[in-house]
Amino acid sequence: MRSRVLGVVTVAAVALFTLLPLTTTDPARAMGLPALLDRSQLRGLTTISMFVVLTSAWNIIGGLAGYPSFGNVAFFGLGAYATALLTDPDHGHLPLGVGLLASPLVPAVVALVVGFPLLRLRGHYFSIATLGTAIAFGEVINNMDFLGGATGLFPPIIRSDLLFYYLMFGAAALTVGVTWWIMRSRLGHGLVAIRENEEAAAVLGVDTTRYKIIAFVVAAALTGLAGGVFAGWNSFVNRDNVFPVDYSVQMILMAVIGGSGTISGPVVGAVGLEALIQLLAGGSGVYTQILLGVLLAVTVIFLPRGVIDFVIGRSRLTLAHFRRSLRQTSV
Amino acid sequence: MSLLAQQLVLAILLGGVYVAVAIGFSLVWGILNIINLSHGAFIVVGAYITWTLFGRLGLDPFLSLPIDAAALFALGYLLQRGLINRVIRAPVFFTLLLTFGVNLAIVNLLLAVFTSDFRSVTPPYAGSGIVLGPVVIPSIRLAAFAIALLLAALLSLLMRRTRIGAAIQAVASDRDAAQLVGIDLRHTYALTYGIGAACAGVAGGLLSTVQAISPTAGEPYTLQAFVVVVLGGLGSVTATVVGGLLFGLIEVFGQSAPGLGAGYANAIAFAVLVIVLIVRPQGLLGR
Repeated sequence: MRSRVLGVVTVAAVALFTLLPLTTTDPARAMGLPALLDRSQLRGLTTISMFVVLTSAWNIIGGLAGYPSFGNVAFFGLGAYATALLTDPDHGHLPLGVGLLASPLVPAVVALVVGFPLLRLRGHYFSIATLGTAIAFGEVINNMDFLGGATGLFPPIIRSDLLFYYLMFGAAALTVGVTWWIMRSRLGHGLVAIRENEEAAAVLGVDTTRYKIIAFVVAAALTGLAGGVFAGWNSFVNRDNVFPVDYSVQMILMAVIGGSGTISGPVVGAVGLEALIQLLAGGSGVYTQILLGVLLAVTVIFLPRGVIDFVIGRSRLTLAHFRRSLRQTSV
Repeated sequence: MSLLAQQLVLAILLGGVYVAVAIGFSLVWGILNIINLSHGAFIVVGAYITWTLFGRLGLDPFLSLPIDAAALFALGYLLQRGLINRVIRAPVFFTLLLTFGVNLAIVNLLLAVFTSDFRSVTPPYAGSGIVLGPVVIPSIRLAAFAIALLLAALLSLLMRRTRIGAAIQAVASDRDAAQLVGIDLRHTYALTYGIGAACAGVAGGLLSTVQAISPTAGEPYTLQAFVVVVLGGLGSVTATVVGGLLFGLIEVFGQSAPGLGAGYANAIAFAVLVIVLIVRPQGLLGR
């Protein structure tokens, strides 16, 4: 019953977010349809889609496999730089389509190489090592002259918010689709087994190293794709805008608030939180960040399974539930 | 030759700062199994207390260290008692996230209060140094080094010779048994975290005298503390001291390696981190 409701909601949401932006186009105007979105709202939806990609991709390695990477922003940055390097008139000067093809490939190859040492680490060690790897990548790229150094790269400006909206929305749909497919496949069951008990999974015949690497590479490729689209959209790429540690944290926060390890949780978390951030953007960024910090603390303490668990899981909005949940984790 | 000697001296003195930065982090990690991502923010809070007292009241930065320690102890105790104790038995990922949330809130509160301008504490003796042949030892850095080692010694004494230290170690080795002999878990956890935060406060006070500070300066300190603890090994004050001194050497000499420079400080630190984690995950002196 619940899964059917969720299915209907999903189809309705996809239809809405596919059709709504069309009302901003000239043919729709000519037909006398009212524009239901303005340009800034369309850009807002593009950013929301971007965070759906980042959060859902993080969920594949962090939520399903239980390896909470704090460095996924590295893949976003690498994807953005790959596209930017190929399309920048001073460098590759190739069409955006070609540049976008490279955006998942470069991070995937990097994830394959760094994944072997990193995924041998667990818990804290994995989290901090990934965080460090991301910072190191940003720093090295910032020092590379052929990548524009601290100035960055400038892909040609393409003035079409609608194009980039559909590219980002497509990437988001792809990411959710890939997650859905993984969760139904052998790979997904293997990853969950690794998360719950890696030794037991290995004993049962799960090739843990291979599964973890696949999850890491898939997450990196999808994250990189979002980076590539962002590079084309923003037509300016440097360390500060594509390697911000904040993104690594935001994707984790969104996944956890929504409910990590599920398909819908990260989507709900990304849409809800990014919409909230955009609504608050009129105020000072500092207070938004304070709110995020408080929200993170509240989520961790009171909603460790995320809000989606109230819809599809066992959590109930009762005082007794919160008390029990607190008692399990407190001293 | 004299350049090398000078670099060696600076590297060792820098290592002392890393000892101060890492010592509280190491305690909290070793005893509570928490990677305290707000550690860097605590250091910055300590630095701002010293800066404020120096700027407003003209208090010597070294005299404000006990005040840093006391203020941060209180903050740390309350945070652990009020928040972190609620998730201490959850998977480690959750304590990591919670301390990150605290970090985000503190850093942005500091931004709201102090703005993002860089500040520095410059007492009248800031430029003075001891000349030893071809080598100059900056007196402030030497004092900071000495205080860092003193802090390590005090912490070591506290852990070995006092009832509090015994209680903390008992809790770390067996929570249930410690409770059976009458140790108040919540209080002991909060004490441990408070002591860790107090060490961060002292580190912050020291750092404000040797480098410029800003609200967002804390993150690298957390990462450096992590690298130092991994390098030395978890579980003893000595290991942290060794890790800190070694990290100072690696950083100074790594940056002067051909093809690298100051822009690669974090990259070097993390290359070291990943290599140590893979080759010798328990650290140099770890159990």
